[in-house]
Amino acid sequence: MKPPLAHRAAEWLSSAGRSVFRIGWPQTDKDRAAAMISSFFLHIHPARVSRHVLRPTYTFALGLISAILFGILSITGLALMLYYVPYPPEAYRSMKDLQFVVTFGMVLRNMHRWSAHAMVVIVFLHMCRVFWTGSYKPPREFNWVVGVLLFLLTLGLSFTGYLLPWDQLAFWAITVGTNIAAYAPVVGDQVKFLLLGGHMIGPMTLLRFYVLHCVILPAAMLMLISLHVWRVRKDGLSGALAQTGAVEEVAGVFPPSSKTYGLMSLSRRPRASVESRDPNDEVFAWPHLLYRELLVALAVLVVLHALSLIFMAPLEEIADPTRTPNPAKAPWYFLGLQELVHYSALIGGVIVPTLLVVALLALPYVDRGPAGAGRWFAPERRMSNTVFTLIAAVLVVLTVTGTLFRGPNWAWVWPWR
Amino acid sequence: MKQTAPTSLHVAFAALGLAFLAIFSWVLFHEGVADWRTTQARFRRIEATVKNPHQLAAAASVGGLRQIWLPELDRVDRCGTCHLGIDDPSFAGAPQPFSSHPGTWLTTHPIDRFGCTPCHDGQGQATDYLNAAHQPQPFVTRPMRPLETIEANCGACHRAIDAPDAPRLDEGRALIVQSGCFSCHDIPGFDGLTFHGPALDSLGSKVRPEWLPGWLKNPKGYLERSKMGNFRLSNDEITVLQAFLLSQRAIPPLEGMTVDWKKADTANGRALFGELRCVSCHAVNGRGGTMGPELTRIGDKVRRDWLFSFLKDPHRVQPETAMLQYRLTDVQLRDLTAFLLEEYRSGDTGPEPPPVTYQDARAVMAGRGIFERRGCTSCHRLGAMKNTGRIGPSLAGIGDRNPDELAFGRGNVRRTADNYIFLKVLHPDALLQTSMMPTFDFAPIEAARIALALASIRKADLPVSYVRNRPMPPPFTPAGHFGELVTRYRCLSCHSVGGFGGTLSTVPLDRIGSQLKHDYISKYLLNPGAVRVSVEARMPFFHMLPDEATTIADYMTSVLLDDTLDRYDATFSEADVQRGQDLYTQLGCVGCHQLGTVGGYVGPVLSDVGDRLRPGWIAAWLANPERYKPGTLQPDYGLSAADARALTAYLSSLVDGGRPKSAEQGGRQ
Repeated sequence: MKPPLAHRAAEWLSSAGRSVFRIGWPQTDKDRAAAMISSFFLHIHPARVSRHVLRPTYTFALGLISAILFGILSITGLALMLYYVPYPPEAYRSMKDLQFVVTFGMVLRNMHRWSAHAMVVIVFLHMCRVFWTGSYKPPREFNWVVGVLLFLLTLGLSFTGYLLPWDQLAFWAITVGTNIAAYAPVVGDQVKFLLLGGHMIGPMTLLRFYVLHCVILPAAMLMLISLHVWRVRKDGLSGALAQTGAVEEVAGVFPPSSKTYGLMSLSRRPRASVESRDPNDEVFAWPHLLYRELLVALAVLVVLHALSLIFMAPLEEIADPTRTPNPAKAPWYFLGLQELVHYSALIGGVIVPTLLVVALLALPYVDRGPAGAGRWFAPERRMSNTVFTLIAAVLVVLTVTGTLFRGPNWAWVWPWR
Repeated sequence: MKQTAPTSLHVAFAALGLAFLAIFSWVLFHEGVADWRTTQARFRRIEATVKNPHQLAAAASVGGLRQIWLPELDRVDRCGTCHLGIDDPSFAGAPQPFSSHPGTWLTTHPIDRFGCTPCHDGQGQATDYLNAAHQPQPFVTRPMRPLETIEANCGACHRAIDAPDAPRLDEGRALIVQSGCFSCHDIPGFDGLTFHGPALDSLGSKVRPEWLPGWLKNPKGYLERSKMGNFRLSNDEITVLQAFLLSQRAIPPLEGMTVDWKKADTANGRALFGELRCVSCHAVNGRGGTMGPELTRIGDKVRRDWLFSFLKDPHRVQPETAMLQYRLTDVQLRDLTAFLLEEYRSGDTGPEPPPVTYQDARAVMAGRGIFERRGCTSCHRLGAMKNTGRIGPSLAGIGDRNPDELAFGRGNVRRTADNYIFLKVLHPDALLQTSMMPTFDFAPIEAARIALALASIRKADLPVSYVRNRPMPPPFTPAGHFGELVTRYRCLSCHSVGGFGGTLSTVPLDRIGSQLKHDYISKYLLNPGAVRVSVEARMPFFHMLPDEATTIADYMTSVLLDDTLDRYDATFSEADVQRGQDLYTQLGCVGCHQLGTVGGYVGPVLSDVGDRLRPGWIAAWLANPERYKPGTLQPDYGLSAADARALTAYLSSLVDGGRPKSAEQGGRQ
């Protein structure tokens, strides 16, 4: 028999718990739906999702991984900010302190660095996935545009962060990077001046990059991510649509929903369905979606910890404007451009990057046909898939070349020699 | 569809959860076994064997990271985190890294002012062995220096050319001074020093034409210790350069023309050669001084008339020479010249060559071009040309040169700044074929010392409070008759005044007037002897005129003084003398000093010391020998004032006559 005091305490605790988690641990389907809807954090998910979008091979969870990486970067970044002084040469010294005296400092820095590199890769792959599944088709044109902006922001964040260690690697990578920016016609020099806060990298540049890296770009990123996810929530996942054959629709098996959802009837979405039009095709987001998300997050954490224990973030000598390394290389994701700049400054520095960005932004408004959306490599989209894949492949080859196969004076070298 | 999660997800969750737990534990473990933590644990075990419980309790608070912050030097040294016994003598001989610092270095360089890396280099911020750069590490510009080259870092602060307790550095700097590297290179720390080869204005009248090509080809072939480097000239270059040099005959008229050489008496010349003590400065057959050139093969080199003129008045022919002007008659000069040319030559050199007359004008012009291009004017004065300044690159900051920027060529050599300097000094053309720098044929050990001395010339300047410098001594240029005599007899080639002058003599002239008696000085100058058997270089026999000697003695006893010593009361009682004699025996002075025929050879002879030394000096010397001669062998007996006075009284009583006398007259302190 329980003593009354303990009983009362348990009662008190559970009521306090319910004030926070109103639903408690859901036991019934109703609770599961309610859990998703009533939680501020969970309601970015629908209560029920099409089981087709749960297939790992459809999305490879790339968008989710990007978001997780952004989370990890924010947390490790905030921790690093506690030690970092954005003024040379204290900046470099704080790197050394992180390495040698801050408890977990090196793991923290490694995690931040490898997450940042991974995020560039994952966001790029996410974009490829969205293209190859035709997921930018209406009604998701604008979300593609937001996605392109997020990719550019990712590059910007990585680039601004690259300078902060204030070592030779950082200094000269940013020198090369900003020099590529200066190739832009008319405004190039002004852009460079604005970025650097002067004509060459100095304390002002470090401060600017620090503020961009820690405040402006993350804030923009956070807003655009919210918009991006909100749009996904409103438009649904493209994979769910493709599972409904045209025949079934014509046959009226699944008539367009005529249900109203209270205020949601105001929604001007083209289709009112929440996720899937077949009720039997749906599963509850709790636990099916959330569980998988948790597993992905765990896997990402394990991989990143392993990377951070094995590979150390590089730190070269302190930045020295009088000592130019040969070759001076931009951060690796700009080495494709630097490789092009090596052939022609105008093409590599101006024409190619401008065309690429403009083409990406304009893509959903040019390629408007609804055919082939929601499926990998739909035969209807063979032409556009081929063109995109070619361009992406060339970019990858150029980047790999610039990273591994270029030595002093940008001459060809074999990396294994 | 089932509304609960499938089992596969649970399995995946379990696996991933465990994996995360494992890897996160590893992160924690990794931090826990950091190099410095395990090292400190090891230290505590050793500490328990070295110290008693009382000391251990006091030391218990020592733990965690330890660092020395040197804001002035912009350094943070955390070496003490592992080198925990470094400033604790009870850890002498403890295993590394706990052993205490050898020597008294931490006393002279307190650790909280100098830290570790200013002397040792390495990465002071690191807290593990590898990153501290005990061995060279990537991206560490200055890994720890091995003991062989660590003195390069002494030189960063100790700018005076003779740094204390840094023999390798001193050796390197002395080599730089001797070799005159600063004639062609701007070398910080050596400003104000000068280095001259002979002026070449009269080379055509000085040397035998057949000697010159061999010299230009390889100076060491003629003169083992030649300071001139080998310029690696081609035969064509030598031909034209020779034409240019032989055409230089802008000399004051030679004086040997009227001498009747047939009457020359070489036996007299040989006697003079010994009497004048030429070997104090000039070596013959490998033995003798190094201030002047070796004379072993002078007969191969110089013309008779020129040598006669030079010996007669060296300063007219070579104004910058260190050679003194003897007061010799023409007959003596003739005999000496004839002796030198006949005795010191490699074979029969044949008759005196005719004067050089015509040189091909085009060859002369081409030779002049080479003379200018190879920077000969950096060392040799030639009236016809202006000094073009230093031809070599400045060596400011050479110790911090980035190896990437140095021209190592294609050779497979270690690419460090130190090694570059070493190779460049050793074989200037090994790294760069077209190098203009001559080869000086330094031995590898000499090149290493020079490289070490140069490596101490750093780019960043230190706070003044760390720099130990000694300004160049002001030149001593006395005026009047005394000044003329100093110039004529080149006193300052061997002696120094206020640090200015030569170092061949062990006797600086600063206080000589307080040390020696007037009559002794003038007598000594007329017939210099030596008391110290161990000193090889002897004062030359000047053939000085008596009134010149008096002038010098007058000047010294009134100018070169320590005033405090001249006020010494020199009226001694007989008891003082007696007591001094007892002390002389008690203290064992006889062990080092000769008195009469008894005594050692370490110190100077004391037979006539009363004639030689002033009483005030004797007393001051006995009270504190190191005051006047740091490092002297004379022991400091810590005599009381009364004892010192008694001993002074006794020594002052030892005068020429009445006392036992040694064979030698006079003596040198």
